[in-house]
Amino acid sequence: MRILLVDDETEFVATLAERLSFRNMEVDYATKAAEAIELAARKTYDLAVLDMKMPGISGIELKAMLEKQCPGMKYIFLTGHGSEEDYRTGSSEASGYLVKPINIDILVARIKKALEAK
Amino acid sequence: MTVQYDSIGGSGLQFFGTVSASISHELKNVLAIINENAGLLEDLTFAARRGSPIDPDKLDRTVQNFSKQIHRADEILKNMNRFAHSVDQFESQIDLHDLVVLVANLAARKAAMGRISLATTAPAQPIHLTCNPFLLENLVWLCLELAIAATGAGRTLTLIPEKTASTILLHITGIDGLSETLPVPDETGFEAIRAALGATMTTDPAGHTLTLHLA
Repeated sequence: MRILLVDDETEFVATLAERLSFRNMEVDYATKAAEAIELAARKTYDLAVLDMKMPGISGIELKAMLEKQCPGMKYIFLTGHGSEEDYRTGSSEASGYLVKPINIDILVARIKKALEAK
Repeated sequence: MTVQYDSIGGSGLQFFGTVSASISHELKNVLAIINENAGLLEDLTFAARRGSPIDPDKLDRTVQNFSKQIHRADEILKNMNRFAHSVDQFESQIDLHDLVVLVANLAARKAAMGRISLATTAPAQPIHLTCNPFLLENLVWLCLELAIAATGAGRTLTLIPEKTASTILLHITGIDGLSETLPVPDETGFEAIRAALGATMTTDPAGHTLTLHLA
């Protein structure tokens, strides 16, 4: 499983990447949208985990950009607060969303479920 | 003096809510980082029990992350506490630079979302004025919102307090796309707050500067 993590909080995304790699996932991470697009241009990912709100860009906007490069890639959104709008967006635009702080077991289960449905 | 709050209506509450929501988002990010680092320690412990050696550098990085986030949360909560208590005082003597630093800290996340940085410049001598601190924080915040909306990503907005022989000023410099007249939404209560404080605002598009005239 090749996973792309994108969140502007470096300590968060780097540590989460390390923890997912302990769980037999191949993980790269980016803290900026441009870095994520560059990574996706060089490598194929099965799923991207995107923060919903990042400097200068939303997770939805980044997803639209990545979809052009990586058709078929699945998405899970991360959000600070689980608002009604986040729920709607997570349900309609992605394979779900998780509210920070996240439970890694739930994230892993969501990733596996999303990729099984692929 | 509560008449000052009556005159701004719900906009003051809206300002308080906006700042509180931003602070809660920041704290969520801090908790998320602490949560991942605690989880990493669990993962390392689990691996060690199964015979994998623990990398001391990795442990050290994790501890540093805890320490950094605790310090970050402490700064956020100090700012929140100061902001919350500013509502208690209807009129007090204010150090303008201190207030400007507080508002810049509170607005940093909002600015960062537009990929804009905020900086402050301390005056050579402290500048004091007597007014309602919450209303002044609200007015500076609204000016920053106007500046952030007008300027482009990648820029730095600098807040500079200044005292002349006759007046106290607060400049916000570095604003791209500044026009002579800025669109000020009615619902922000800008006019009521400005009037309550007896302040005026001018813009200098050529100098990329918005100036609040405070006294």
